[in-house]
This record gives sequence, structure tokens and C-alpha cells, in this order.
Amino acid sequence: MKCSQIRKMISPYVDNELAPDELKLFTSHIQGCPACKEELEKIRSIHQLFACAERFEAPLGFATRVMAHVEETEEAGLFSRIRRLFAIRPLFLRTLEVAFALVIMLIGVVSGNLLVGDRTSGNMTSGTQTVVRETFSLDLFQATPPDSIGGVYMRLAGD
Amino acid sequence: MKAFADDIDLIKRIEDGSRPAFEELVRKYQDKIYNLCCYMLHDPDTARDAAQETFLKAYSRLKDFRGECAFYSWLYRIAVNTCLDEKRKSHEVTDSMETTPAVEDIPSSGPSAERLYQSKETGRAIQAALQKLPDGLRAAIVLKEMEGLSYEEIGDTLAISVGTVKSRISRAREELRRLLGGRI
Repeated sequence: MKCSQIRKMISPYVDNELAPDELKLFTSHIQGCPACKEELEKIRSIHQLFACAERFEAPLGFATRVMAHVEETEEAGLFSRIRRLFAIRPLFLRTLEVAFALVIMLIGVVSGNLLVGDRTSGNMTSGTQTVVRETFSLDLFQATPPDSIGGVYMRLAGD
Repeated sequence: MKAFADDIDLIKRIEDGSRPAFEELVRKYQDKIYNLCCYMLHDPDTARDAAQETFLKAYSRLKDFRGECAFYSWLYRIAVNTCLDEKRKSHEVTDSMETTPAVEDIPSSGPSAERLYQSKETGRAIQAALQKLPDGLRAAIVLKEMEGLSYEEIGDTLAISVGTVKSRISRAREELRRLLGGRI
């Protein structure tokens, strides 16, 4: 086998990644080739440097910080979902409020009409009708209602 | 195999809403992921941020993990991509040339081979040299040398063929040999 082909096999050999037949070819070549053997030693040195290199450990509290971020992210996600919901709702809510107010007003008008109509209809006694008329009468708002002191004075003054 | 089954069990519990299960997963892989990020990025603060980001992304994307590869391969993939994104964002290559000691500045006097082997500066020298490698070569050699993944696992992690893995690792070692020069 040529040295150029063997050199491509050096790294896989160092990493124990050669297939059995490749391994056989490689080792038999290396035994008889000083140049390839020297290349192998240089690559092994790099591999050994890494073996001696420091292994870094995660800083203290790393997992706690990650979990805190997870919680923050989930809360932020929930908050933004709620916020989006409220961002849409005011328009909807406003429409609902207006509609609700209109309905209430309509109910008020209809029930008021029904009440007045019912009370002023022929179903009522004349006495009741008089009371209703007086209740809904605007005479109460006169400056001198007939049965007030002013009203009596005005009658006397007119006489 | 047991480790793989343990991960699947944890993932099922996390999908059911168990936060303690996710915390257990974080604690299981935090050192490996942080170590990987340190050698991918060199700066410890950036590495810590990238490692945290890796776990947060894993948490949000867990539903996308279909078990087509080992969970740790999937996690490493997220870590590598996060580190590469971080590097592109921060233009760390430019910064590292200004702030980290150049490979040439690392003292080589005395019994240099033994000194390097024995001291923490080995790690620093390797970190500095790794920053000069292209992203693809750096990812492959770090996964091989620091995490001990097989060529097949590296292929799964980086979504490349085993042949490409072999080629990248060979080229990375050749380049590191040139960069670390007389220290070997």
C-alpha cells in the first residue's frame, strides 16, 4: 500500500476506527516504513496533548440558573399570551359594553312603556288612574303647584 | 445502552411536564456541554452563556426529538450550532487574536514537551489553536478528542458522513500540528 493511502489511515488508527482488514494493512506497512511511523507519532502526540488538556466543569449553580431561565421563559410566554388576549379584547369588550348598554336602555324603555301603558289602560280603576296621572304629571315641577302655598296665594291674588 | 434508556425515560417525564426531570438532565450533561463550549469558544463567559442557551433550546425543542439518534448526539448538535452562532455574532476570531495569547507567545523553553503535558497551559494552548481552525474542523476534533465520540456519533451530531468525519479529523490534527509546532 502507498504511503499516501496509509497517511489517511493514521487518524482513524489512533482513534481505533479502522476496520479489521484496514488495520492489518496499516500495521504491516507501518512496521516497515519509518516515514509513516514518524507521521503516526506526530499525530499521536496531538492526541496525547488533548488527553492531558484540562476538562472544564460547569460553574457552580449552573443547573439552578438554567432552571430559573426555564421558569422565566415559561412565565414570560404565559404573560405574553395573556397580554395578547387582552390586547385583542378591549375592542371586543368595548363593542360588548356598547351593546350591553343599548340592551339595558331598550329594556328600560320597553318596561317603562309597558308599565305606563298597563297603568293607564282601561284595566285600572279611575282612582288609580288619577294617582298615576298625578305621579307622572309635570305639575310637580311648576313654580307654584295648585296645592302649594304659592298656588293658594296666586289664586287669592287673582281673585 | 442503559444510559440511552435513562435519557429516554427522562425525556418522557419532561414531556409529561416534570421540571425536576429536566433539571436532572441538565445536571447529567452540564459538564460535558460546558466543556465542549469552552473548547469551541475559548472565552469562559461566552461558553457559559452558550451552554445555558443549549439547554434552553433543548427544553423548547424536546418535542422535535424523535429518537433518530442518541439524545446526547442531539444535545451536542444543539451545542455546536449554538457555539457557531455565538462565534459568528461576536466575531470572536478577531477578538481572540487581540485578547488571547497567540500560539507563538506560549513559552516553549525548557523541557517543553513535558511541561505542556503536565500543565493547564496545555488546555489554553489547545483552546487558542482551536480558534484558528475552520468551524467544521474544530467541531469534529473537539467532539472526538474532548467528548470521546465515535466517528459515527460525530457524523450523527454534525449531520455528516463518516468519511467526512475522518477527513475533518485528519485535517484538524494536521493543522493543529502545524499551529502547535515545536511544542509537540
